[in-house]
Amino acid sequence: MQFIKEIYSYRTMISSLVRKDLKGRYKGSLLGFLWTFINPLLQLAVYTFVFKVILKNPTPNYYLHLFVALVPWIFFSSALTTGSKAISGQANMIKKIYFPREVLPISYATSSFINMLLSFIVIFAVCLFSPVGLSPVPLLVLPFVMIIQYALVTGVTLITSSLTVYLRDLEHIMSVLNMVLMYLSPVVYPVSYIPEKYYAIYMLNPMSSLIIAYRDILYEGIVPQLQTLLIAFAESVAVLLAGLLIFGKLKKGFAEEL
Amino acid sequence: MAAIEVNEVRKSFKVYFDKGRTMKEKILFQHRNRFEERKILDGISFSVEKGEAVGLVGHNGCGKSTLLKLLTRIIYPDSGTIKVEGRVSSLLELGAGFHPDMTGRENIYTNASIFGLTKKEIDARINEIIEFSELENFIDNPVRTYSSGMYTRLAFSVAINVDADVLLVDEILAVGDAAFQAKCLEKMLDIKAKGTTIAIVSHSLSQIEQICNRSIWIDGGKIRMDGSPNEVHTKYLEYMGQKRLAKSVTVEKKSGEPAKNSGSPENKNIGESGEISEKIAEITGVQLIGEDGNISGKYRSGERVTLKISYRANPEKLNGVLIGLLFFRNDKLTCYGTNTMRERIENIALKESGEILCEIDKLNLVRGSYWIDVAIRAKDMFAYDYVAKAVEFTVYSSVDEVGVVKLEHKWTFN
Repeated sequence: MQFIKEIYSYRTMISSLVRKDLKGRYKGSLLGFLWTFINPLLQLAVYTFVFKVILKNPTPNYYLHLFVALVPWIFFSSALTTGSKAISGQANMIKKIYFPREVLPISYATSSFINMLLSFIVIFAVCLFSPVGLSPVPLLVLPFVMIIQYALVTGVTLITSSLTVYLRDLEHIMSVLNMVLMYLSPVVYPVSYIPEKYYAIYMLNPMSSLIIAYRDILYEGIVPQLQTLLIAFAESVAVLLAGLLIFGKLKKGFAEEL
Repeated sequence: MAAIEVNEVRKSFKVYFDKGRTMKEKILFQHRNRFEERKILDGISFSVEKGEAVGLVGHNGCGKSTLLKLLTRIIYPDSGTIKVEGRVSSLLELGAGFHPDMTGRENIYTNASIFGLTKKEIDARINEIIEFSELENFIDNPVRTYSSGMYTRLAFSVAINVDADVLLVDEILAVGDAAFQAKCLEKMLDIKAKGTTIAIVSHSLSQIEQICNRSIWIDGGKIRMDGSPNEVHTKYLEYMGQKRLAKSVTVEKKSGEPAKNSGSPENKNIGESGEISEKIAEITGVQLIGEDGNISGKYRSGERVTLKISYRANPEKLNGVLIGLLFFRNDKLTCYGTNTMRERIENIALKESGEILCEIDKLNLVRGSYWIDVAIRAKDMFAYDYVAKAVEFTVYSSVDEVGVVKLEHKWTFN
């Protein structure tokens, strides 16, 4: 309770860090903020070419099937890659001044979250012009799914950023883990491809149920099953709590380790 | 109610000889992870009441800055507990999170938000902050265009206007010019009067004496003395003086040169600014002598003192002579400066060697630490010799005055 109150009192710091991050992210680049949209579109083009044209994936409207999963995935993967530097990249501030250390990963996750929300503008545009269209009722569930994922990403960022302070190798391990997890989540293929006997284990990955939910809403145009949402919620909250716990244990040594 | 409570706090740092950071190094070269435990704080307990102002003194490396870092919660103790009630503002590192490309105003918002202020709270203070920084005309320029003085002034203004319940200060009042320093001091006294608890680490004992009503002397990670600044600082200076004396004696023995000066620890005779020209005139020793030949380096406020400058000179090459004196307080505030030309004393004749005496009837400085710079110059101001900190001394007083100079006065009540 005390903790939540303290984080809340630092909300202005969080919002100013988020603003700084979003402004600074593409600073100096020619296309600037447009990269928020270009980057996922380029990845979409590559994956569509590989899996649709070369590997001949039979899923109808494959590009959309992929796109609605790819954007949430990029949000998640930011927690693993750049998010792991949320603390070690701010050594100066950590060593010199007090503030609740959680503020850094939280603002990192928040700016990635806003980035994803902006990318959703493109998703909506693509959906509208595709044969699939947009179904209004399932869309009402979308904010809940996003918030669940926001909790998950915050949790993962708390874990990766605090561990990286003590073990610098993690920065490199993360990029491998990032690739492994991507293929262990239903990003480039439909979840129905997973053999029955591995299904239970497969669903332990919180991104599995989240991507299923995103895809139900945007690609299938149906309301996700309650069970899918419950699994996503339970797993994400568990990760968030674990993140807070691990971070809380490790944060006391940050200033000395950095 | 105690605002700060420190209970049996211990802290040591691991000093690695060659620390492995990557996994490979951690696993393969375990022997490299050898380290030495260096005890910084060794069981410190004290508590500070709400509204109290405490100074932490001690020589370099005694652990006072570490203690302050523990109080800010940048680092945590190995054992023991620390409780600090309320919002803490620290003047440890000024300008945390300053971004050079953002304007002064934007940086105020970022910096203040790091102290836990909300937008609304910053809005309410922004005018006060800008006014205090005296940067009204530059506040909407990017911070990278600021001079370093402007930069620290802005940062200081933010930190001091946070309205904290507890204010922690580390060697910070050396910000800006003398006028701004005086303003900072005034602000600190103001803040103290409002009931803010203050803890200050400083080498400037006079600063602590002006602000604090209590002083804690830390030595070797333990509390050596805790009491009124007057008592603690007298003991502390005595101790430091003895230490310095011990050191200077060994140096003199080593170099084998005859001591040019008396053995007084406070009276140095070699200038820190060193040689300026081939010595047409040279200051060979400076002494401040109090009543009854007191050369202890401690003088009563109002004591009759004589400044004795010993010199060597080449009378034929001298192009007129003037003698200059500058009195500084140890925070670099100029207290008094004069020279013989300003006082229209002409035709000073120096011999090949001799002494110049300057008698000061009353050393009317308020208590604190001071030093004197002494110069011998040609009449065109060319410095034959300039000795910075030729004499360092402290002034004590039974009266708790503030400021710099003691104005002689009488009270009458009709």
